[in-house]
Amino acid sequence: MARLPVTTLRDFAFPISERRILHRIGYKSRTAKVNPSVIEIIDEHRQRLEALLQPAALFRILDHADTNQHPIFEGALQVALCVCTIGPDLERTSAEFITNNDILKGFVLDAFGSEAAEEVARQADAAIVKAARNMGLWPSKRFSPGYGIWDIKEQKYIFATLPAADIGIKLTESCMMIPRKSVSFRINFYTEKEQTTRSFR
Amino acid sequence: MTKNELWEKIKHSIIDGNKVDAVALAQEAVDLKVDLTEVIESGYVPGIQKVGDMWENGEYFLPELITSAECMKAAMDILQPEMEKIHIKAHTQGRVIIGTITGDIHDIGKNLVSSLLSANGFDVIDLGADVKLEDFIQTAQDREADLICVSALLTTTMLGQRRLIELLREQELYDRFKIMVGGAPVNRQWAQDIGAHGYAENAMTAVKAAKDLL
Repeated sequence: MARLPVTTLRDFAFPISERRILHRIGYKSRTAKVNPSVIEIIDEHRQRLEALLQPAALFRILDHADTNQHPIFEGALQVALCVCTIGPDLERTSAEFITNNDILKGFVLDAFGSEAAEEVARQADAAIVKAARNMGLWPSKRFSPGYGIWDIKEQKYIFATLPAADIGIKLTESCMMIPRKSVSFRINFYTEKEQTTRSFR
Repeated sequence: MTKNELWEKIKHSIIDGNKVDAVALAQEAVDLKVDLTEVIESGYVPGIQKVGDMWENGEYFLPELITSAECMKAAMDILQPEMEKIHIKAHTQGRVIIGTITGDIHDIGKNLVSSLLSANGFDVIDLGADVKLEDFIQTAQDREADLICVSALLTTTMLGQRRLIELLREQELYDRFKIMVGGAPVNRQWAQDIGAHGYAENAMTAVKAAKDLL
């Protein structure tokens, strides 16, 4: 087995709590007195959220020998590479709010976007973990380019390996993803549980 | 309504984040032919200053600051055209060029800094995201800026902040402008290392840092 076909996911749920948004926009403490108008904006955005999201993720599992042999993959039997996004509409709408001096609405919507992108990544991560376990392997935590020794330029390798354009993601010259609310990551699959720092229940 | 009553109402419209009142009171001031410079200096500015104080005291959070900034902008959109008609310029804290560095497309934090600087009396020219180094420098020269604010969200793009300062030195413009840097990976040590005059951890400290610099 060298390279499994690409798996595409499009079915995601977005259980984003009010608390997560409040924390992201600056109310770090649970006891902070929240302006009622902020709650109204959160509720308003929650109503429009589904229409603004086009969530998608795709991943591919490779033999270690078929990767670009970056040291970050060392010790893995196989490696999953994944890109995911919530699509462009939410950030476009957020920018429109800001341009029209509805800055807070734009800011809160951006927070929803960040949480939604994280949700997509989290659920794609769960699908990859399941695939690893079905193969009898132990998945690492997910890591994105730009962390530690995995340079941001390694985005180019991910994008050369995955048809990210199929779900509407493209890479800029400086290795940033468009739409901005997109996430790329890898998960190493190990033969031994002790090789991974991920905790399993 | 006395002037003092008007100032108090204006001030509270900003503190309360009441955009409808902030705009209506601006229009009322125009209709009453009150000195609009005084309207700003005695009503709106104390309001936004109080909001900053409340943030420092932990009574207000970023959303309240943003709401008050929105109110300020909405009121200024009424007042400034009227002032221009009679050739009066609003007092400004200084002219600021702001943008996210080349190669970096993130702009939500930069937008917040831009809005709060503007609400606090700075004349802000926002160049957007992915701004070329040459464009920062050229615009700062053309528009006679006092301060250049440069945002970067990644460890890779923050290197552009250093390159911008190197370019300013090479072109013997370093002493002409103050430079402030910010963004998620940026810290005070980095700002000092690259020769930035100022550093801001977040949008509200950016206002204070900008005031201190100018």
